[in-house]
This record gives sequence, C-alpha cells and structure tokens, in this order.
Amino acid sequence: MKNKFQVNNAILLVLVAALAVFPFVSDSRTWTILLTQIFIFSILAMSYDLLLGYTGIVSFGHAMFFGMGAYATAIMLNRLEPTLSVFFLSIAVGMVIAGVISFLIGLLTLRLKSHFFAMLTLAVSGLFLVLAEKWRTLTHGNDGFTFRAPEFFKDRMMFYLLVLACLVLVYFFLRRFVHSPLGRVLIAVRENEQRTKSLGFQTLHYKVIASVVAGVVASLAGSLYAISLRFVNTSVLTMDITLDALLMTIIGGVGTLIGPIIGAGVIELAQHYLSGLAKEHPIFERWIIFFGIIYILAVIFFPKGILGTIQYAFWKQKNKIPKVDVAAPSRKELTK
Amino acid sequence: MELIINLLINGLATGMLIFLLAAGLTLIFGLMDVLNFAHGGLFAWGAFSGVWFYGLTNSFTIAIIGAILTGAVLGFITEKIIIKPVYGNHIQQILITLGFMIVLSEMLKVVFGPNQIAAKTPPLLSGSWEIGDVIIIKYRLFIIVVGFLVFGVFQFILKRTKIGLIVRAGVMNKEMVQALGINIKQVFLYVFMVGAALAALGGALMAPYSGVVYAEMGMEFAILAFIVVVIGGMGSFPGSLLAAILVGLAGSFMAYYVPALSLAVNMMLMAIVLIFRPQGLFTAKG
Repeated sequence: MKNKFQVNNAILLVLVAALAVFPFVSDSRTWTILLTQIFIFSILAMSYDLLLGYTGIVSFGHAMFFGMGAYATAIMLNRLEPTLSVFFLSIAVGMVIAGVISFLIGLLTLRLKSHFFAMLTLAVSGLFLVLAEKWRTLTHGNDGFTFRAPEFFKDRMMFYLLVLACLVLVYFFLRRFVHSPLGRVLIAVRENEQRTKSLGFQTLHYKVIASVVAGVVASLAGSLYAISLRFVNTSVLTMDITLDALLMTIIGGVGTLIGPIIGAGVIELAQHYLSGLAKEHPIFERWIIFFGIIYILAVIFFPKGILGTIQYAFWKQKNKIPKVDVAAPSRKELTK
Repeated sequence: MELIINLLINGLATGMLIFLLAAGLTLIFGLMDVLNFAHGGLFAWGAFSGVWFYGLTNSFTIAIIGAILTGAVLGFITEKIIIKPVYGNHIQQILITLGFMIVLSEMLKVVFGPNQIAAKTPPLLSGSWEIGDVIIIKYRLFIIVVGFLVFGVFQFILKRTKIGLIVRAGVMNKEMVQALGINIKQVFLYVFMVGAALAALGGALMAPYSGVVYAEMGMEFAILAFIVVVIGGMGSFPGSLLAAILVGLAGSFMAYYVPALSLAVNMMLMAIVLIFRPQGLFTAKG
C-alpha cells in the first residue's frame, strides 16, 4: 500500500516537473495561456469537489466565492498600487471575505435538505450578481474594468509558474484535508448523514467547515483568474462559472482530487477547439449544448466520471474475486 | 392613491406570473419529491413559442394554446428521459435537471437565435382604462384574471374531482396510493406535464408583459419561483399563490421606493421564513 502511494506520488511529481519545464521548452503563447486557464479552473473544480464529491452537498453558488476573489484582487490592484505585496494582500482579503460569507451562509442554510440548500445557494449567488451589477462605483457593473497587474507578471511565464505552484499546493492541502479525520467525517456525511449524526458527530459543523474551505479555495482561483485576464466584470459571478466547475467535477470524476483536474483539462481544451470550429458550422458557437448533453449522459450512465470509471475498472480487475456460491456457507460461518 | 393602485396591479400581475411557474414546481415537488431545476427552461420555451405562434398566426389564443402544448410536450420528454432514471436520488436529480436547464436554454438560442425577440401585445388587450385619475393597463389586469382563473380551476380539480383526490393522496403517501391499485407513475407523468404546461403558459403571458423574450429569463424567473415555493411551503398549492402575490407585491413596491433592495427583499423574506418556519407558511397536508 505504501509502495503504491509512493509510485503515485512519483508519477505526479514527474507530471508537475514536466509542466513546470513546459514554458521553457515551448514558446507557444496560446498553450501557456490555455494551461494557465486549466490550472486556475482545476483549483476551482477541486474546491467544488470538496463539496459535491466529498461531502455530498450540491451548491449552485460557488461562483460567488470565485467572484469575491476576482473582485478583491482587481479592486485592490486598481485602487492601490499594482505591486506583488498588494497582490498577495488582495488574495488574503478575498479569502477572508469568502471565508466569512461562506461561514454565514453555511450556518444559515446547511441545516436544510439538499433541495433547499441548492436553491438557496442559487438565490444568494443571484443576489451577489445583482449587487455587483448595481454597485457600479465599486465594480463598474457589467462593463467591468481593466487594471494593471504587478510588474512581475508581465512575463506570462512567471504567472504560469505561480499558478502551477498554487495548483500543486492546493492539491496537497486538499489531499491532506480529505485524508484527515475531519475529511473522513465529511465522507461519512456523504454516505449517510443520519448515521453519522447518530454516531455523535455534529454534522452541521463539519458541513460548514467543508463549505468554508471550499469557498476560500475558490476565492484563490478567482484572484488568479482576475490576474490572468487583467480585467474583471460581473461574468465572474454568473451561473456559468458554477456550471463550469460542476461540469469539470462531474466529467472528471467526483470524489477524487485528480478527477476535477482532468475534467478542467478536458473541458477547457474542448471549449478551445469547439469554439474554434464555429467557423465551420454555427452550431459550434453553442458548444455548451454538447456539454449539457454529455453532462446529462454522464450523470445517468457514468456518475463516477472519467477517473472514477477508470479506477473502478482497475479495482475490479485487481480484486478478481472468484465466484462464490451464495448458497454455500462461508468459511467464517464454518469456523465459528 | 393612483400610484398605490398601479403598484398593486403591477405587483399582482408579476405575482401571478410567478405563481404559474411556482404552481407546477410545488405540485411536482409535493407529489414526486423532485425539485425541477429545468422549470425555468420550460417557462422560457413557453415565452418563445408563444411569441413565435403569435407572429405566425396573429392570434393570441392560438399563441397561448401553442405555448401550453409546447410546454406539455417538453414536460413529457423531460419526465420520460430526464427525471425517470433518477427517481429517489436527490443529488442526481438536482444535477441532471440543472443540466437539462442548460440544454433547454441553449436550444432556445439555436432555434430562435441568440438575440432577444420583441413581443407584441395583442390589440384587444393593449391600451389602458382610465377610471378617474387611475390608469389601469389592460394587459396586466388580464394576467391577474388568468392567474386567479387558473388557481380556481386547479383548486376545483384538486378538491372536487377524482384525479385531484389521487394527486392529493399521492402528496401525502405515494406508497399507499400505489397499493390501492393506482398507477402512480402515470399520475407522476401527467402532473409533470401539467406543471410544465403551466410554466409555459406563464412564459407566454410574460412575453407581452415585459415586451421582450430572451433565453436567460427562464433562470431569472425560476429563482423567484424557488423563493416562492420555499416561502409558500413545498407542495402547497394555495401557499404558492399567496407567497407569489407576496413576492410580486414586495418586488413592485420595493422597486419603486427602494430600487436597490428590490431583489434583496425577496431573499430577506425567504431567509426569515427559513429561519423561523423552515417548512414554509403552509404545509402540504390537507
């Protein structure tokens, strides 16, 4: 078991090293930008999976935390000076705001059943979108505003490396988190909340913690996203962002951390190529329709997603249990 | 006085439109334990098809009937393909109906084009009456009348007919109804179709009211309908009417007096209801 763990880690390290070296080897600007985008959405999707895959809560308001991070960074870099220290400060501010808001919302709404929670998060994030659109002095509404990124990020490569570093850090942090005793309780909540409760766990507390951690990580993704565009408008708060995170998580594989990263890669690449195909046939302008259909099929037929399905196949192969005659008494019963 | 009457009529008209959407949502939830996130998509389809039929035939009656039929057909497809495989699994239901919502609203853009379409009010219902100082816009009054009519008809069906009895019994205890020899799955399908048709009717009535139809309107109204369903109590038909009127009135008065808070007021209403009465103002029983 330990050995397998190390092998997995080694593979990951090699992959990360390859990705880190990539911008030095290739000077394709498109790919650097695309990969940066994939990393940012991987962070977002992982944070979403903490809720959907690990705790079993469906939130439709994840975009609001993403948007908080994006706006915190954009506004602070715009109002104060565009330096690195302000950038890091803005990330911290975004995280704190997202943490506090997700704590309050979680405390109010996580007591409710899944339906109500999903609906309420949808409504609250709609409220934040309206707020951002109306509070024009701060956000410039739907028109948005551009801002200057710190000098340090003028070089796309530096930013690429920073985002990659964030991705790796978030991955290891979340992996530690879900493997901690606290994470185990979250999984128990997903499997059977009633039973977890009757085992003496105050499940509300655990769910609130999960939603705060997810909100804070999503805010980090938002901050990075704002820098990558050097522009922010209310689109960072729209349902589309939540849907992206949802699609990435579902298609990649719920309940894993690598799954959302794979999902982010698949979706961003597909989006890139499909919108390129729009010249061939206008239906590709509505590429999201394909995702919608794939997503529905995935929910019905592959609820485990890409990674989950592969893992399951491996697991089945490895644990090839010889067919047991059900009628025959098992060994345990015989030795009793 | 004139202002207050106008705000009242505006609020009631909006409330009725929300009610048409919320009524289907609440019945479907009460009976089938399914929260249909695609309901807003059905609403938007109703609006677009209503405008399309009106442009084609120039008859508002046909436009309404066309929209209702579109809604029923879409409801049939939704129930058969989308909802049926995931009965009993809440998380999958939420995910899949939301996915279908995306497909529905993108399909709208494929079929009718991505831009918003202008909707005309039929000549018979356009214009307004002047009673003293008060100007009453005819179309708004029409919406209110239709809303109450729908409520009356459905209340009659639910309370006085056999099918209504089955539906009400199903809301209380599905297994028992099944055990008494009624094909509850069939009832599910019909209720779903009726709910979808109501949503589409709401959409078709909405189109001339707002003057334009656009694909995103489904989601906007769906959020209001969710709020209404939560406030009114999941599964309660009269509850959804009262809550819809409440939300409509609160929206129209706030939009005039405190415009910045017009959406927030609904959220606050919902938050208060959820904290003090999580089951909603009305319960489904009885």
